[in-house]
Amino acid sequence: MFNLKMDLPKDRPIVGVKTTDNRGFTPEEVAEDCVKKLISISDNVDPVLRDQARAYAKDMEKVVAFYMKEAIRSDRTTVYNAIRGAGHPKLAELIRRL
Amino acid sequence: MAFSGNFMCTSFKVELLQGKHDFTNGQDTFKLALFTNSAEPTQGSFGGSGTTMNASVTDYSDNNQVGASGDYTTGGGALTNVTPTSSGTTAFTDFANKTYGSSTITARGCIIYNTQTAGGSSTTDAVLVLDFGADKSSSSGDFQIVFPTADSSNAIIRIA
Repeated sequence: MFNLKMDLPKDRPIVGVKTTDNRGFTPEEVAEDCVKKLISISDNVDPVLRDQARAYAKDMEKVVAFYMKEAIRSDRTTVYNAIRGAGHPKLAELIRRL
Repeated sequence: MAFSGNFMCTSFKVELLQGKHDFTNGQDTFKLALFTNSAEPTQGSFGGSGTTMNASVTDYSDNNQVGASGDYTTGGGALTNVTPTSSGTTAFTDFANKTYGSSTITARGCIIYNTQTAGGSSTTDAVLVLDFGADKSSSSGDFQIVFPTADSSNAIIRIA
């Protein structure tokens, strides 16, 4: 007989919930989540390797956040031009200054 | 309390053995609907029993669902499937994080359900009942569900 185990832990939340008020997530907040998906570090690994991996993950957060900011800046240029082209130069300028 | 822990729906386990759910990315569309702590299994078409949301829930229902706000629409949003794979002897699947932007929401838990069970359309078959542990709120902001890492130790659906 085979017994497949696939129940969920009942006593603790297994999905996290992150919320914001009157703003979206910052690139740094998104980068932190991104790196958690990319790099998983076991608590049982050798302490030296674990610390090295954690330091590497922190560095990666900075790299990911940097390129996210670049993407946001570039997309804002696209949005600016689209709105300006639609005849709303003042609104376009407000968005450019965000 | 209406939400009290996390549950894999018993009906889902049966349907899994019947080959009715395909978690492969690009196949079945699974949605995540948010609820207040007033939701109970016997309301509407939840199909369950008891007073706390538990494994007896068989379907999505809009009873005590949070109101539409920003990116959140009635019925919830579609999730991005992580194609099932394995590590060692454990098979697993997961979902990408889900964000409902520009929303004002207070939710205590959620139901993940399949809208394409057995190749159908607009189905409501419940997969998981998840408790956030407390009310979570966004105000003109982002409401994000963070799924665990997709590996054999953490993924949200694992068969060991």
